[in-house]
Amino acid sequence: MIPTPALEFRPILPEILLCTFAIVGMLYEAFARRPDPVPHLAIAIVGIGPAAVTAYALWDWSGPSYVLGDTVAVDRFSVVSRFVLLGAAFVGCLYYTHYASRDPGSFRGEFYPLTLFATAGMTLITAANDLIVIFLALELLSLSLYVLTGITGRRRASEAAMKYFLLGAFSSAFFLYGVAMAYGAATSTKIVGVAAPGIVQALAGQTGSQALALLAMALLVVGFAFKVSAAPFHMWTPDVYQGAPTPVVAFMGAATKVAAFFALIRVFDVGLQPLTWDWTPVIYGLAVVSIVVGSVVAIAQRDVKRLLAYSSIAHAGFILTGLTAANSTGIGAAMFYLVAYAVVTLGAFGIVMLVSARGEEQTSLDAYAGLARRSPGLAALMTVFLLSLGGIPPTAGFIAKVTVFSAAIGAGNWPLAVVGVVASVVAAYFYVRVIVYMYMREPAEGIESDDGVMPRIAAGVLAAGIVVLGIFPGILTGILEPASIVRW
Amino acid sequence: MGTDLRLDSVSATMILVITGIGALIHVYAIGYMAGDPRYGRFFSYMNLFVFFMLMLVLGANYLVLYLGWEGVGLCSYLLIGFWSDVPANAEAAKKAFITTRIGDTLMLVGLALIVFRFGTLDFEAVFGAAGTVLTKDAATAIALLLFAGAIGKSAQVPLHVWLPDAMAGPTPVSALIHAATMVTAGVYLVVRSHVLFELSGVALTVVLVVGVVTAVFAATCAVAQQDIKRVLAYSTISQLGFMFMAAGMRAYGVAMFFLVAHAFYKALLFLGAGSVIHGMHDEQDLRRMGGLRRLLPITFATFLVGALAQAGIPPLAGFFAKDAVLEVAQHTGRAAVYALGSIAAFLSAFYLGRVLFLTFFGEPRSDRARDAHEAPPVLWVPLAVLAVGAATAGWLTLTPEGRLTGFLEGITGPTPAGQGVAVAALAAVATVISLVALASTWWIYGSGRVDWVGFRERLEPLPRAALNGWYVDRAYDTALVQPAKAGAWITAYVLDARIIDGAVNAIGGGVKLLADGGRHLQTGFVRSYALAVFLGAVTILVYVGVRS
Amino acid sequence: MPLDNIVFWVFAPISIASAIGMLLVRNAVHAALFLIVNFFCLAVFYLLLDAPFLFAVQIVVYAGAIMVLFLFVIMLLGVDSGVPIHERLLVQRPLAFLLGAAFVVEMFLAIRAGVGFATKAPAVFTANEGGNTQAVAKILFTQYFFPFEVTSVLLLVAAIAAMVLAHRKARTVTQAEIDAAAGEPDTEEMPVYGAEAAP
Repeated sequence: MIPTPALEFRPILPEILLCTFAIVGMLYEAFARRPDPVPHLAIAIVGIGPAAVTAYALWDWSGPSYVLGDTVAVDRFSVVSRFVLLGAAFVGCLYYTHYASRDPGSFRGEFYPLTLFATAGMTLITAANDLIVIFLALELLSLSLYVLTGITGRRRASEAAMKYFLLGAFSSAFFLYGVAMAYGAATSTKIVGVAAPGIVQALAGQTGSQALALLAMALLVVGFAFKVSAAPFHMWTPDVYQGAPTPVVAFMGAATKVAAFFALIRVFDVGLQPLTWDWTPVIYGLAVVSIVVGSVVAIAQRDVKRLLAYSSIAHAGFILTGLTAANSTGIGAAMFYLVAYAVVTLGAFGIVMLVSARGEEQTSLDAYAGLARRSPGLAALMTVFLLSLGGIPPTAGFIAKVTVFSAAIGAGNWPLAVVGVVASVVAAYFYVRVIVYMYMREPAEGIESDDGVMPRIAAGVLAAGIVVLGIFPGILTGILEPASIVRW
Repeated sequence: MGTDLRLDSVSATMILVITGIGALIHVYAIGYMAGDPRYGRFFSYMNLFVFFMLMLVLGANYLVLYLGWEGVGLCSYLLIGFWSDVPANAEAAKKAFITTRIGDTLMLVGLALIVFRFGTLDFEAVFGAAGTVLTKDAATAIALLLFAGAIGKSAQVPLHVWLPDAMAGPTPVSALIHAATMVTAGVYLVVRSHVLFELSGVALTVVLVVGVVTAVFAATCAVAQQDIKRVLAYSTISQLGFMFMAAGMRAYGVAMFFLVAHAFYKALLFLGAGSVIHGMHDEQDLRRMGGLRRLLPITFATFLVGALAQAGIPPLAGFFAKDAVLEVAQHTGRAAVYALGSIAAFLSAFYLGRVLFLTFFGEPRSDRARDAHEAPPVLWVPLAVLAVGAATAGWLTLTPEGRLTGFLEGITGPTPAGQGVAVAALAAVATVISLVALASTWWIYGSGRVDWVGFRERLEPLPRAALNGWYVDRAYDTALVQPAKAGAWITAYVLDARIIDGAVNAIGGGVKLLADGGRHLQTGFVRSYALAVFLGAVTILVYVGVRS
Repeated sequence: MPLDNIVFWVFAPISIASAIGMLLVRNAVHAALFLIVNFFCLAVFYLLLDAPFLFAVQIVVYAGAIMVLFLFVIMLLGVDSGVPIHERLLVQRPLAFLLGAAFVVEMFLAIRAGVGFATKAPAVFTANEGGNTQAVAKILFTQYFFPFEVTSVLLLVAAIAAMVLAHRKARTVTQAEIDAAAGEPDTEEMPVYGAEAAP
């Protein structure tokens, strides 16, 4: 009799719900006489809402910590990530609904199912306790995002999708090779094994091969660094951010980073915990390069979407800064940063979408000239987001930067914090430049404006969240504290 | 702590002064400011001032007091520079603000020390625990720091320089803020904090010395001024010196009494001067006045009451107030204080007599003086009311049960008593001094037998020096302001503009070049991107390999 | 020399040569054929490593089904051979070779230090207990059933992706819509969805 693992599906109910309603969406798209964005949005919300409820039910989970043959972990860490990701998916769908109504010619109903599939991959990757599941989830989210990038079929978008796909496949190869090496080192792909020893047990017990483990570590870093767009694995980011439809970028920029970082934290801070002294320098180096490259090259950008892409590279560096502290302080700091970053990214790209107008013609800085005069509300919201990206109080971005820097300093990496602070000063230049354009330049002629109400409300709520978190960070840290203790 | 308010006999007295005289001055201002393009703004500033002033005297702790303190400073600044289209007015406003800030900053340090020592700023708590918490030295430090604030606010030597310039503001402002209320806040602070000053002892001596020096010094300046408002400004400084003199002798009740009496007659004098200026179409120079008693009879009558009151002619308010101070000095055996106080009293009668005779007697010395007109009722009615006050406020001390000092005793403690010359004799001497001073001014300025212009020239350079406040301003300018300006210039145009900005610009330029370089690496070709990924991967692998 | 080694040394050069050949030839069909050769060599390696099930799967699924599909696509689309490449960064190609060499050396050293080359890992024998195919089945349907299910979702998404990318929406205008538009003379232009999306 072959022993079979218990079938405990409750911990993956969010993913099951997302996939189910993704399929429902596909069926609607296939059978509806004339698919419309609104029913699509309704289906997506019906998937996302209950997924969030079932995720919340896991907050006080009393069952086993690892289920389904030790492939999925059940902890508060993954609950937090699910909430952020589901929120990002919701806002993304909201944006796209407006985007589609503005430009019906480019509407593709598949957006919603693909977003749900991508979200399922993302939530799964943060809960996965098995490198194979992580890889599959990574592919699931990547594949969905490649298609989402090119979903409008515009030339630019198709080119971006192609680039993203080729480079993503390339980095996935490294990742997969890393998984193989990890198996070679530990004869297991489980991060933490209950039934049989997992990677962390093998490495802690020195039963595995140290050399292969290090090789695995280096290769896995490549895969993750590509996904979080850390330099020098960042080259795809500006092209994809610029080419992809803005609602997709909003969702992708916020959610991919969250998902990939949460997975990275689990693999490195849990699975490769015995190798802490070997991987922190690598993270350190990536952080320095990302911060410098992101902050410096952004200065030369005149397209706001590209600018935000480079900004996202620098932010990846800042989050890595927090992770150089391989303890719950560093993890908590990175989580706070990720939540703040996700909120800001969603908001900022919402504004970019509204400014860019039909066909995404207006994404250059010139389109922002005099925005405060044309639509003062948008300019004010954008200002809040830019200030948060720049890490200026009283926004969540400021608290986030302070926490990652103090975590790095606490781990003795003060030079990294110095680099971060200097780069923040450099970065302030290009964030403030956008504000200057919005408030102190004369509006250009012939700028089309978009008066969508729903994205405005969404961005307004996000901006309010940013300010509230900037003034009362305790609201979030209180939640993150019990979630940031991931251990085996 | 927090925003607690407190009403006791001292704050009640202050409130009555602020609101009572404040109301009259507001009525006066209706007429005085009529036609000003920023009429509404003027009154909002004035009311903001009254709000902060009430806050200052009603606060139950130093925090509220300090907020009011800074608030009245702000209003003072705004109102001095109210006609800011004339650069000199704006300069005067800045000077007033910055000079008082010197005192305010020290006072803030004192408050910080109080928090440090007591953990609270509450009056009750601080005064209750002061005896046990503070050493003598600590009490001295705190009391002197608080007194520094009072020196700035009440324009005492050596921070008195702003008040004469503050006359650039509209006359109602001078009457309300720079005579009756705000400048007395320093006296209020000392009276309120007298527990701390008494613990120190040294601090009280400092208060006394500063008061005496200021009273005499400012009086000498007032004698030589040519501008009617500047005479009154120096006169105010001198009279405030009397108040500090009383406080320095532990006669806090007397200081408060002086404050009340002074508020009446000085407000009256300022408003009377305003009426003269108004009647003479904005002429303020004494040398161009003369003979106005026929043209401005009501103004003359009220101004006369005010001047005689301050000069110390019984039974007007100033007589009792000044007499009370000199009496305390004589009775507590402070002969020097008594002598210097008497000299200051003589000088104050002298300069007021001078103003009186030069303004209202003799022949008009200019066309404007010949064409002057009496003020409308909206101006002279408040004058009349204040004249009644200035005449009768002194009676507050006459009967034992009606004594203001008795009313205040619960807070201020009893007025120090002692042995000395009989009160009646002192009063007689003081009256004689005043009369002599007035008589000599009549002889010089009123009788026409002395060529006072030539007389003044023969005394040069003394009058010029006194006119310029004994060159204190110029000394400050040379010793402090110019070096500070030079330092600021070096910091701004050499250190900041060249060295710091230069470095920042160089870094900025470098970063921009780097950014352009980085942008060129972004070729748009997938193979280049893949190469970057590969480069990163191999770098990490080599690093890991070399490390292990 | 055991038989294993002889087989290995025969197929190893072929696999490397086919991989390089795939990169160098300009014709896409030729490249695909080289890839099939490579896959076949890979299948042989699986066999040498005591994984006969993978050997079979590799040949049937990859070398057979997938590559045939691949060739179909290439032939259907009629890809031009010999797209000229203008290299802008001249340093790129030598750098790529250098990095590739470094990568290979690094892997070689790491694997030698990690497991060595001479021996077969003993874990293989315990894993293959009761036959390789049975062992794969056992592990796939117990411990790894969840990743197996996730794979199905992944394939579903891949199918959707292919459909979305290939099937550009060109909506046919129905007669009812034409009638509706005709009834409204004010409408100057009839909205034709997908007009912009068409390449």
